[in-house]
Amino acid sequence: MFLQKGKSFGFILIFVLILLALIALPFFVDLFYQTFLTELFVWILFAISFDLIFGYTGLLSFGQALFFGLGSYTVTILIRKFGLNTELSLFLSIVIPILFAWFVGYFSVKLTGIHFVIITIIFAIIGNIIGDTWTSLTGGTDGLTFSPRPFRLGFFQINLMDIKGNYYFVLAIVAISYLFLRRMVQSPLGKVFISIRENEERARLIGYNVQRYKLIAFIIAGGLSGLAGGLYSLTLKYAAASYLHWSVSGHAVVYTIVGGMGTLIGPALGTGIIMSLEHYLINFLQATDLVVGIVLVVMVLMAPKGLVGLIQSRFKKGETSA
Amino acid sequence: MISNLAVAILNGVVWGLIMALIALGLNMIFGLLHIINMAHGALYMLGAVVAWYLIELTGSFWIALIIAPLCVGLIGLIIERGLIRTIEDKPIITIICTFGLMLAVQQLVLMTFGGSPRRIAPPVAYRFPIFELQYPLMRIMIALISIGLMSGLWIFLRKTKYGLWMRAVVQDREMAVGLGIPVNKVYMWTFILGSALAAFSGVLAAPIVSVEFMMGREVLIMAFIIVIVGGMGNLEGSVLAAIMISLIQGVGALFVPPSVATIFALAFMIIVLLFRPQGLFGE
Repeated sequence: MFLQKGKSFGFILIFVLILLALIALPFFVDLFYQTFLTELFVWILFAISFDLIFGYTGLLSFGQALFFGLGSYTVTILIRKFGLNTELSLFLSIVIPILFAWFVGYFSVKLTGIHFVIITIIFAIIGNIIGDTWTSLTGGTDGLTFSPRPFRLGFFQINLMDIKGNYYFVLAIVAISYLFLRRMVQSPLGKVFISIRENEERARLIGYNVQRYKLIAFIIAGGLSGLAGGLYSLTLKYAAASYLHWSVSGHAVVYTIVGGMGTLIGPALGTGIIMSLEHYLINFLQATDLVVGIVLVVMVLMAPKGLVGLIQSRFKKGETSA
Repeated sequence: MISNLAVAILNGVVWGLIMALIALGLNMIFGLLHIINMAHGALYMLGAVVAWYLIELTGSFWIALIIAPLCVGLIGLIIERGLIRTIEDKPIITIICTFGLMLAVQQLVLMTFGGSPRRIAPPVAYRFPIFELQYPLMRIMIALISIGLMSGLWIFLRKTKYGLWMRAVVQDREMAVGLGIPVNKVYMWTFILGSALAAFSGVLAAPIVSVEFMMGREVLIMAFIIVIVGGMGNLEGSVLAAIMISLIQGVGALFVPPSVATIFALAFMIIVLLFRPQGLFGE
């Protein structure tokens, strides 16, 4: 299925090599770095889901935090309050954000440009206020803790209380999501998204129902952001109302811009670089966001296509990797 | 009850006038440069923080009220020349760029000023009675200063050469260039003026709220709401919307929890965005 094009071979090779390296990694690094990498994978998923809506479809949504937070709370509340099993809770952390993304997107895609940005911020703020206020359900700013039960998936017995088990579980889901998104952006549907980004008017004149395709992109991105939130909570065994704050979406914006928007691999790379940078800086600088903010501004000014753009302009012959 | 209501209305008007200043800055920058300045809340916060340092240094709130906006205006100049100019005509990129700037400024203040909130004592401590409650005279003075600044801005826009140029650029940029108006300079001064207005707003808010590095984050959203409800590019609309929204929030908070009042304000804004994107008071 992924081998449709000739250039895919190189991608498959690199993808498998990276995956093998990541599978081997937990045997060489300690538990602290295993947790760090697990969180990194979660943020990669969040960043690539944002890349679908921003990088490919051209819609700057600051509302992704809403879906991230919803996914996170879906898992937490279902497991903690209803004793639901882990795998079903995680599945619902895609379904429920999709329903909300449908609702939010239905209104948002009617607007364009700056108005779209603002309406997505507003929806996220409403979510954040509700999360902050409805403390009996969400735990407010203190948040909620829980412990997911072990479960069987095919041949695998998965225990998320075990850090290594958690690592492999998150790695597998993020890798599958990455392949799913890569397949999607190469499909005819993905081409429509790109055409909307490049020239919305022309896409409409060709005969595409632009609003409908925007809504589809918004819903898919929302569902995957929800999955990222669900995995994040499963990793930390915790959820808090601050996950719903619109500025959480800023993480995805930073990772995507630094790595290179509309490339999928770029946001993944950007996540790795920025999170490692923050991890390194925290040792002697309390305010890591200072450096992140400056990096963001410099990248926007100097290399708007991000690191991937920089690399591609070095190897002029290289094709756009998706 | 009647005295509570009177205080709520007064507070609503005072806060509305402060918010009108920051919203006017945001709206002027939007109207001319067609960009959303995400760092506008950070400039408001910088105004308050610079004022705090100036008050420590000189002991006078009034000196701070004049000097802090000048300092922030200078920072605005640097932002406009250094950043905004280089990414002209790319609204979405500008949003991301100013978002990065907001992060950097907030954290810079966190590193130097510290994370704990600090208070600026009102320079006038006198309180006058309203029915059985006491109301600080300082707040009335803050409201009057805001009105004075807005009147000054109005006169500037209506009666001076720069004001005329600004209005001309808003109406038709191409034509303005053709008539020899230095559009580039007009952009620069608009951004400086907008930054200074945000700083004025910050200094005036400082005796009412506490000064801390995150104080601009929620205010930025408030300013967005005001600009949209009042109409993007419509300055009079912003002032009306600021007072109206602030009054509704203040009086509403007497009857429902403040969070519910805010959610209603936000939902109202979504409706305005969808059905009257030109704002409530637009044509």
